[in-house]
This record gives sequence, C-alpha cells and structure tokens, in this order.
Amino acid sequence: MGVAIIALSSLLGPRNPTRTKLTTYECGVTPEGSSRIPFKSRFYLIAVLFLLFDVEAVFFFPWALVYRESVRTDGSLLFAMLAYMAFLVLGLVYVYRKNVLETDA
Amino acid sequence: MSNVVALSLDSLKIFLLFFSIVNVVPVMLWVERRMAGLMQDRPGPNRVGPFGLFQAIADVVKFFWKLDPIPQNANRFLYLVAPLLSLMPAALVIAAIPFGDFIVIGGREFPLQITDLNVGILYMMAIGSLGAYGVLFGGWASNNKYSLLGALRAASQLLSYEIPLGLAATGAVLFFGTYSLRSMVLIQDGTLFGFLPKWGVFFQPLGFVVFFITSLAETNRIPFDLPESEGELVAGFHTEYGSMKFAMFMMSEYMNLGTMSALMTTLFFGGWHLPWVTDATLLGWLHGSRNLLGLVQFGVFFGKVYLFLLLYVWIRWTLPRFRFDQLMRMAWRNLTPLALLNLVVTAVLLYFWEQR
Repeated sequence: MGVAIIALSSLLGPRNPTRTKLTTYECGVTPEGSSRIPFKSRFYLIAVLFLLFDVEAVFFFPWALVYRESVRTDGSLLFAMLAYMAFLVLGLVYVYRKNVLETDA
Repeated sequence: MSNVVALSLDSLKIFLLFFSIVNVVPVMLWVERRMAGLMQDRPGPNRVGPFGLFQAIADVVKFFWKLDPIPQNANRFLYLVAPLLSLMPAALVIAAIPFGDFIVIGGREFPLQITDLNVGILYMMAIGSLGAYGVLFGGWASNNKYSLLGALRAASQLLSYEIPLGLAATGAVLFFGTYSLRSMVLIQDGTLFGFLPKWGVFFQPLGFVVFFITSLAETNRIPFDLPESEGELVAGFHTEYGSMKFAMFMMSEYMNLGTMSALMTTLFFGGWHLPWVTDATLLGWLHGSRNLLGLVQFGVFFGKVYLFLLLYVWIRWTLPRFRFDQLMRMAWRNLTPLALLNLVVTAVLLYFWEQR
C-alpha cells in the first residue's frame, strides 16, 4: 500500500524541478554549511540509558505473567522482585546524581 | 463450509477490521480541525460537503497532485524508505487488537480480531516502537538541519517514554496475569462490588495515568510534540517531505493515535464491554443473536476509542508545549519512578489478596 502511494503521487504530481526547488530548505535563505552538524552527546547518553533500562524492564515481563499464580502458594517471588527493583532504583538514583538528565538543550 | 469460502470470509474480516482503524485518519482530520475551530471560536473547514465532511477526501486528492521533489542533498534510498518505515508499523500493530468477541457465519466462528496472539501486548509494543526508525531515517536522510534536530529529539523522546509505557503496561499484565489482549478483555466483564464496572482502570489508576501521559508522548502529540515544534524546527523531521510522503507521516501518526486509544480501551476500559452490562445479559436482550452481539461490541469498542481520540484533541488545543529538558526530566524523574511504584503497590496488594 505504501509503495503504491509513493508511486502514484510521483506519477500524478507535476514535474518541473528547478535548482531552487531542490535545495535544502532553510527558511528561504541559501543553505549555509553542512547539515551534518555536531549534536549534543546527551542524545547518545539517553540512548545508552534507554538500552540499559529497557533490558532491565524486560525482566519484569515474565515475572508479571506468573506472579499471580505463584504468589498464592509461595511469596518468595515478591521479595525477589523487590530486591531486583531496588537495584534498578539504585541505578536511576545514580543517573540523577550524575546529572545526566539535566539537559540545557 | 468449504475452505475457500472460509478463507475469503477471513480475508474480508481482516480487511474490514484494518479499514476500521485506518478510517480513524480521515475522521480525525475532520474532527481535529472542526474542534479546533469550535474551541478557538472560528468555523473550521466548512466548504467541502456538508459541515466540511469531505475535507479529508479533498486533502488526499490535493496531496496526490502536488509536486513531489527529492532534495538534491538527500540520501535517496533512506529518504524514500522512511515514510514506509513509519507507516508499516502503524498498520501492523492493528493485528492484535480485539474489536469484539466473535460472530458466527454458516456455523463457523469468526473472532472480531485479526489474530489472537498470546503475547498480544508485547507484540504491539515491539512493533509500535519500530516507528522510531521511520522518524530517525526521515530526519537524517533529508540532510537538513531542522530535520536532523527534529529526528534526534523524536528518537530520544520515543526511547525515553518507551520505558514508562512498558512498565505501566506491565502493571496491567501483573493484574490480569495474561499477555493476550483478548483474555484481558474477557476478565473485565461484569461489575465490581455491584456498582463499578470491572475495568482495569479501577485496579490500576496510577498505571492508567502514566500510560495515558506516555501515550501522548509516544504519538508526538501536544504537549509533547517537540519533534515538530513549528516555532523552533519548522516541521521537525518531515520538513523536507512533500506531497503524499508527508501525508504518509501524518497517516501513521493518526493511526498510532487510533491504536494507542484502542490499547488503552483494551487494557483499562473494558474493551468491548458495555459498563454495568455483562455479555450474557446483553446476549439475552438481543434474543441470543451472536452476530448482533458482535456488532454491538464493535460499536461500543469504537465508541470508547473515539472518546479517547476526542480527549487527545481537547488536550491538543488546551495545553502549551513542554520545553525539551522538562520533557526528558518528566520521563526519567517522574514517570519512570511512578510506574515502578505502581508495580510495587500492585505486587504487594496482590500478595495480600492472593494469600487471604
């Protein structure tokens, strides 16, 4: 469907490209310099943080599935997960203390 | 019934269910602008058809006939692939949404759901987060400063809000004890203490609040629409896109909005169930007709979805936009700990409930 949309619109649309129409948009001004500009390393840090915390959060999924059944007979799963979550929160607190998230961008 | 007939009926069902979510796009285009008009004391689109109802069709036709340039400096391949990558996940997630129980045609049951995956909610979150690639590729391939900044913002925003989203959904999974969206809806049938509908939101209020706020961010809506904040970045990652390619980004955005509303309806608002009326009672009212019941459930489900969509529009025209550092701080400092707290509280309460 998506390919069809792109093909159809390029067939139907008018085609009279001029140099100006093809240049990069910069509020009507002639583009200045390369657009591969350096960006803040915070974006990279956030990506790394996401990887860490998402992998950690994944461990909650199987736990959540079996928790209700298992806790009926044996409560150890609750305490095991509370301990695990304490580590996770410790990690979060470390991130706060390191001011990773205090972006000024 | 022969296999060919069953197969064609199945395909027809899939097409209709798919279309019912895609239909959110033109409807929302109209609703959003009319409601904006209403809230800002101006008419909104009112020329094409009665009450401007055909505005969406006019827009699509106009998009198709527009100049469709590929910028000189752009990376051609990624530039063309990006709208596809953003539209495809939005279309794929529809597969796991349960719209209703089932209807019977010629003695065969047709569930009103494309497939009942036993990991439905995981599937939706996994495919849904692929949409970030479309945004990132589109912004990078355009080779434009605004696009690049918009794409970076979008990527870090989508990533950051993925975590509270997942954790809030885990709270619901913890309560229901299943990943299948269909089983979740079936659990939510009936009433609680005789006066509350037995809906997830009454068991997971905190989880719902976190999920709702996060869903606003995941769909790039105001107050979290920083990737395309027009005052700073022109149009963000799709600045260089025109014609139907731009429209594809718009479509995927609105389809994501529809699936997010559907997911919230399923997880927290009882899916296809009418409040205070169990399926069995409803079946009695409809003289035992399974097919009528299926239709009513389908209607109820979409009623709830559109209520959420209206809420999204209302929020969009009411709240101002966040600043980027506020946005990041909200995800990591407020929502993630809140979602974790929700998990702990749910787990502890369930512990005492199950060990009575």
